[in-house]
Amino acid sequence: MEISDDLGVSLSHEDDFEREIEIVFRETLGLIHIALVSHYQLKEQEATELEKDLFVWFRRFCYRPGASIRENRPFLLVACCQFAREYQKYLVGTGVLSSDEKLKLILDREPVDVAHDFSRSLQLFDFRRSDA
Amino acid sequence: MPNQGRVLAFPARHIAKPLSRAEALARAEAYLAIPAEKRTTLSESTHLEDAEMLSSIFAVLRDRLNVVPAEVFAEAKSLYDWLSVPRRAVGFFDESDYFRGESALLAGGAARLLGSREETERWLDRADACFRHTINPAPMLARVAYTRLALKFDMRRYEEVAELVPSLHLTFGKLAMAEDYWKCRFLEAMTLKDMGNLDGAVGAFEEIACGAQLPVDDALKGLALINLGNVRSGQGNHELALMAYSEALPFLKSANRPLSLADLKAMVAETLALLGKVDQAIQAYREAVADYVLLGSTTRVAYLRLVLAEVLVGAGRHREAEWEVAAALPTIDAEKMVPEGFAAVALLRESVRQRKANPQALSELRQYLQTTN
Repeated sequence: MEISDDLGVSLSHEDDFEREIEIVFRETLGLIHIALVSHYQLKEQEATELEKDLFVWFRRFCYRPGASIRENRPFLLVACCQFAREYQKYLVGTGVLSSDEKLKLILDREPVDVAHDFSRSLQLFDFRRSDA
Repeated sequence: MPNQGRVLAFPARHIAKPLSRAEALARAEAYLAIPAEKRTTLSESTHLEDAEMLSSIFAVLRDRLNVVPAEVFAEAKSLYDWLSVPRRAVGFFDESDYFRGESALLAGGAARLLGSREETERWLDRADACFRHTINPAPMLARVAYTRLALKFDMRRYEEVAELVPSLHLTFGKLAMAEDYWKCRFLEAMTLKDMGNLDGAVGAFEEIACGAQLPVDDALKGLALINLGNVRSGQGNHELALMAYSEALPFLKSANRPLSLADLKAMVAETLALLGKVDQAIQAYREAVADYVLLGSTTRVAYLRLVLAEVLVGAGRHREAEWEVAAALPTIDAEKMVPEGFAAVALLRESVRQRKANPQALSELRQYLQTTN
């Protein structure tokens, strides 16, 4: 990440950037919550905690080169699915959680594929936004 | 979330409000200012276990890469080692791999600038291996690919660079990575120049200097203008060359690139000599030598002293030329800039001893160094 010599300009740019991250994350949060609770079967409280971690990660991720904040949303979904899968697999593996057929199916799928399905919902969301 | 869920793959959550970028940068600079041997395990863990701080440390090191590559290499290597301790994880998800990749890429870039080719390749392989495990690897893998191409350029494998570089700048363009895109175009221009495609090189340097479509940073604009001047000087357009040089000066000053400023003085000197303005050329060469001495670029100092000696001989100032040769020879020996038993060096050593200039030996040695260093 490049830091300008002009601190004033840099800070204001940084504020705008941070605001944009929050907006994009908030827009995606509904979908993330559905993925965590409905598909990966995390409890509400677990999902809320994980969403906080995801935000901290996503904020830093947006400073990496190569994509705009909005373009990073599919990667946010990949991270969400990957983390949820590892977490539930860990709980199932240690016997803390018993797996039903639906959970087993989603844990067997690659997080990238699951996230890809969710990304289609994002595209639909974008389409509706641009249509509004 | 139950605690047991965090034992393995789930590190403790970052609860504190994240630092602003400016605060994190200031703290990163303060950390890097502590001499490595005085850093304690506690200060290391306080700074390096915080992913925010670590990001800022990398930002500072990237900024310093072209200025103090030896220091950056040492820091990057030590960061890589620290991050590679088994079971050590910093940040969330893919961040440990990302940070290890960053440290390896920085070490590779620094090793390249220090001239250590095998070391560069080894670090770039490590960077590749780490970035492959991150969630969006394409941008960082493209940066690794750029450093690999720059290394091929250093090794004069121009055909390979010319073949692969267009695909890479296309990648950077698609990813809207402006700085990397222009660095890549600059590498392409330098390759065209060294392959003798001067018209192609002029076009590419002019494009960088104009910076249409995507913004170009001052240092790169300055470098493009220096090289544009150099090509024009080689084509016999010396006045146009001097114009390009004078345009380059403010960019390099604002970008704080002392090494490029020294290069600029050397190229201005060369053009002035070609224009027959010998006294001004000698003065400019001396300024360039003084700058390289300050920067510790010993081999460049030695080479430039020989160039200056040739100009002095041409101006009939033989005594001054002998001093320059006498000052250059110890470095040429110590740095093994020529193969052992290279005849021209022996002849020059003898000419200095006899206080009698040997223009032919001087020219032979200068030409040899020009093509090999």
